[in-house]
Amino acid sequence: MKPFAYVNPANEKEAVAALSKEHEKSMPIGGGQDLLARMKDYVTEPDRVVNVKNLDATVTHVSGGLRIGSAMKMVDVAEHAEIGRMYPAVAAAALEVGTPQIRNQGTVGGNVNQRPRCWYFRNEEFICYKKGGNRCFTPECENQFHAIFGDGPSYIVHPSSLAVPFVAYDATFRLLSPRGERMVKAADYFTMPTKENVKRENVLEPDELLTHVILPAPGALKSGHYEVRYKTSHDWPIAFATVLLSMNGSSVQGARIVMGAVAPVPWRAQAAEQALTGKTVTPETAAAAAEAALKGAEPLSRNAYKVQVAKTAVERAILQAAGLPVA
Amino acid sequence: MAKDQQPPAGGGRGGAPQQPPVDPKYNWPSTPKTVVGTRVKRLDGPDKVSGRAKYTFDVKRPGMLYGRAVRSPYPRARVLSIDFSDAEKVPGFKASLVVRDPADPKTNVVLFQGDEIAAVAADTEEHAIDAARAVKVQFEPLPAVISVDSAIAGRAPEGVFPNGNVRAGNAQEVGDLAAGFQAAAHTLEQTYSTHVITHVCMEAHGTVCEWEGDKLTAWVSTQGVNSARDNFASGLGIPQANVRVICQYMGGGFGSKLQLGPEGLICAKLAKQAWVPVKLTLDRKEEHLVTGNRPSAAAKIKVGVGADGKITALDAESWGTGGAGANSGFPLPYIYHSTPTDTRRRVHKDVYINTGLQRPMRAPGHPQGSFITEIMMDELADLVKMDPVEFRIKNLPPEGPAAMWASYLREGAQEFGWSKRHPTGDSTAGSIKTGMGVAICTWGGSGRGPSPAHCEIASDGSVTMRLGTQDIGTGQRTLVAMVTADALGLQPSQITPQIGDTQYGVSAGSGGSTTAASTSPGIRIAALKALEALMDKVAPALGVTADALVASGGSIQVKDTPSKRLSWADACKRIGPQPITADAEWQPGMSSVNTSGVQFAEAKVDIKTGIVRVTRVLAYQDCGLVLNQLTAESQVYGGVIGSLNFALYEDRILDRRTGQMVNPNMEWYLLAGMSDIPHIDVRLKNMPERGVVGVGEPPTVPTAAAIALAVRNAIGATVRSLPLTPAKILETLSQKA
Amino acid sequence: MPKRKDEPGFSRRSFLKTVGASSVAAGVLGKAPAVDAQGANVVGPGPVPIALNVNGRTVRLEIEPRVTLLDALRMRADLTGNKRGCDRGACGACTMIVDGRTVYACSTLAIEVQGKAIRTVEGLSAANAPLHPVQQAFCDKDALMCGFCTPGFIMASVGLLEKHPNPTPEQIKKGLDGNICRCGTFSRVFEAVSSVKGGRRG
Repeated sequence: MKPFAYVNPANEKEAVAALSKEHEKSMPIGGGQDLLARMKDYVTEPDRVVNVKNLDATVTHVSGGLRIGSAMKMVDVAEHAEIGRMYPAVAAAALEVGTPQIRNQGTVGGNVNQRPRCWYFRNEEFICYKKGGNRCFTPECENQFHAIFGDGPSYIVHPSSLAVPFVAYDATFRLLSPRGERMVKAADYFTMPTKENVKRENVLEPDELLTHVILPAPGALKSGHYEVRYKTSHDWPIAFATVLLSMNGSSVQGARIVMGAVAPVPWRAQAAEQALTGKTVTPETAAAAAEAALKGAEPLSRNAYKVQVAKTAVERAILQAAGLPVA
Repeated sequence: MAKDQQPPAGGGRGGAPQQPPVDPKYNWPSTPKTVVGTRVKRLDGPDKVSGRAKYTFDVKRPGMLYGRAVRSPYPRARVLSIDFSDAEKVPGFKASLVVRDPADPKTNVVLFQGDEIAAVAADTEEHAIDAARAVKVQFEPLPAVISVDSAIAGRAPEGVFPNGNVRAGNAQEVGDLAAGFQAAAHTLEQTYSTHVITHVCMEAHGTVCEWEGDKLTAWVSTQGVNSARDNFASGLGIPQANVRVICQYMGGGFGSKLQLGPEGLICAKLAKQAWVPVKLTLDRKEEHLVTGNRPSAAAKIKVGVGADGKITALDAESWGTGGAGANSGFPLPYIYHSTPTDTRRRVHKDVYINTGLQRPMRAPGHPQGSFITEIMMDELADLVKMDPVEFRIKNLPPEGPAAMWASYLREGAQEFGWSKRHPTGDSTAGSIKTGMGVAICTWGGSGRGPSPAHCEIASDGSVTMRLGTQDIGTGQRTLVAMVTADALGLQPSQITPQIGDTQYGVSAGSGGSTTAASTSPGIRIAALKALEALMDKVAPALGVTADALVASGGSIQVKDTPSKRLSWADACKRIGPQPITADAEWQPGMSSVNTSGVQFAEAKVDIKTGIVRVTRVLAYQDCGLVLNQLTAESQVYGGVIGSLNFALYEDRILDRRTGQMVNPNMEWYLLAGMSDIPHIDVRLKNMPERGVVGVGEPPTVPTAAAIALAVRNAIGATVRSLPLTPAKILETLSQKA
Repeated sequence: MPKRKDEPGFSRRSFLKTVGASSVAAGVLGKAPAVDAQGANVVGPGPVPIALNVNGRTVRLEIEPRVTLLDALRMRADLTGNKRGCDRGACGACTMIVDGRTVYACSTLAIEVQGKAIRTVEGLSAANAPLHPVQQAFCDKDALMCGFCTPGFIMASVGLLEKHPNPTPEQIKKGLDGNICRCGTFSRVFEAVSSVKGGRRG
């Protein structure tokens, strides 16, 4: 790693004051599970690192929902009784992140803001768009783990597990900068890449911190969360999905279907939601909705299999939400 | 070793002076059961579990610096210049070394990503890394050979390797191929392949070098303290006697640490320059790139089978890559062959590409040969509508002590519940399909001389067994103690094994599964000779001649009057100030060569995701006389898991445009974790009459094939290449549909 | 230790404020605390004095902020029991227990764990004293071969058992999913951990 100065702010105001307007010059460190690895690979080379573990890590009730401090550890999210009761998909996602050691250190903020796993991004030998270069290396090359939605210039998949249920539950993120606070919907937080914004995956400014996740009152939702990973032990999911159903008797009144690991942002499948609305959930309607979710997918040269895997993730998350057998 | 490189049956090393066969009085007892043949916990277990065991990675010497290599990011490039001026300004910088002289055309072209160019040393590892990064190297990137297919097709850059990118071997032909295919009821033509994997030793390669004048002491993470010593001596141009290599504990080698890597000499030279000890250990990325790999293997096979299920002829064109100038051979067909007449043709091409060179990897050649052959076998079995176990038995070489597959197949099939296996393709409803597969293995694992051992018994009763061997995680240290203790009627804890240091003598490196078979005879004979000398001293005290005595249960006693005895401690008091010493070497008759193994696997495939879960594996393995049941079993578990990784997970992935490795880490270079491990049953087949044969490698050979065949049986379609990724399985299923 | 004061772009910091409850070594350098213009406490990039509570003892070091807990203990405190396998939080060989939770020490900055209770494999049992039940179980079941991954597995197992004293097979597997073994000892590690019942010891 490049040497850096270490800042230990006393509060969130001091924390944002220690950040910088320049991209990745002053980096917040939560659990450090991603940041330190990036620094060891010289993907991120900040001059200073700002400890944000002392920011709010608590869960408080607000307006029928919950406000979660971004310094909360993944293990605590996974084991929190109320998060589990009110937002089961969030707890389920947190439980599947990484390994026990990673969950013990990783924070909510760190999970949402971690950078892509793309191996061209992570290897020093490849100067891609995200590192100020003038190309993306994935087209026609080793893109088996890359996006099946979107048409560049970057084909990463967003690596955050929590981002998907946050979008599904319509969470809001509280962002704080020296200029004050702003509230951004999770769905608006993550950005599809363009030539102009390609060095970032979200709207967070370099001198901004994500301090809280505010989840609205859940209502009476049935939820499902299904992740497909190759290795069971410790692996990034090939594809996953959060499905939230609000029911009218036995038929679906409304659905929120969001996919993960298929696009540079959590991918909302509105066609699938429409396909399911007004229907009873059965293996057939689940399969049809999953089919609709993947319509419009544009796989790359080596990741066509992801379409089938993502379809299965959506289908099984729907079945799970409806309390039906999954496989 | 490939099958054709195995030592001849019966053990022994061709060319060595003929050893007389062992005196029967030294041979293993016909029913070993005192210490040898039991379950003995590792003597070094407590040191390892407590963290007290010091690996090379842990060694710290006074004033020690940290070394770091500067490496090429390019698969092929000319080094134009090396500028250390910025590196020298890094705080803590202490020394630098040029490895590839830009002015020397013989060495200034690097042939693979990661190849060493220069090196630096600094006071801390962080500063060494800073300094290495500050070395400015000017490269001229050159066209590289990246793809095996392009190289074979003649589309790759030329002039990269001295004799071209492809080295075609000579065809080997036996029998009448035309007649063989004529006699076939069915002919199968398919191509099968396996991929490049790296060793991923948990402890990286590395060394600590410390000079005292012109004498070098080196701690090396090595599989051979004596080979490392020889490598240092010849590489540095100093006498072997000036080099001492120490390796008490090492974190895995799997074949990649049989010889000293380039980092060894680089470290020694930095240490000489800096006048203080230097530690140079590699990081995980360097490990993946430059410390060896298992070559890839591919074969286009045409094979004929008669209606009776016997293979009639086999014609194979094979190829593979071992990297930038290294070979890629493997046995084909693996074990099975046409009978009664062996009828086959085989021609192999080595393809060179600009990646790190292969090094032997646990059972070199056999995992590749096994996968390619065994998938073919099940496809043939289906053609003649024969059960795969029966089909295999039909095509085996004749049975013998080193060829037990037929009985293991039958017994294993029974134990595994093979009769419940459905014909290929699981038709039960739902997306989870289950299947079973089977595969077999063989290996040499012979003992060879001289493998000298030196035994000392002192008057305080302490027993030392000293030899220049090493424990690479196999439990060799414990075997040394066990074999000694068994001979002397003592417990292993009463023996002090002295190994892992060239001071203790010269023994071969631990490779080829030869260590136990090579060292155990000399250990036993030395212990028994020392015992003879002890008995000579004790006999007068018991009023008998020495030949009336026996060592048992911690005493020296009279054979037919056990009440007439001296405790070991009292017996040893009669030794006097000079300890008893005895030396012995390996002798034929106490070890042999060749083993057989059979493995069954059951797997479940989710056909909607392509994910494979191996549910259970049953492994039958013989290895002659089982010295330590406990550690021999662990070798089998370990081999099975290693092969499961080969089948499903690990893969050295290159970017197809630049030839650089995209997954030189442990995140995307996948290895199984606890939740990925199936239920494994190990059945060791003890054959004490055969003497000791090695067991480290054979168990890692057939599991991948057995798993692949279980997958085939589950999904009713054949994936003919490894690894069995979800992408391949889904692709294969959609082609079938 | 080399000073970085002549390096352009680096300003001199000499104040240390710890994270967590207990204050450590604040006055070691004998200088008044320094703060940056915005009022936050800043140290480094040059070496900083820290004190770590390791296995109940205080370990005093002077290290740059970029040094991980793993490298600080291994290379500067001769606590070499836990190992470095991948240095990226993927293999688990570096697993230690910090304030009761298992962590990858390679992915933890040493300066950030001051004031916390750090346990390494060396802390489980003293020399010439009985082994910790988990250590003993690993020996009894031969749950080790080369031994390089073993300290990490043992700490992960201790952490698991202190959290779930009577774990189900699923809990054992998931609890140890953060550790890799290349020799292939998983089956026996599972047996070893399954054989240890009850809560924390030592």
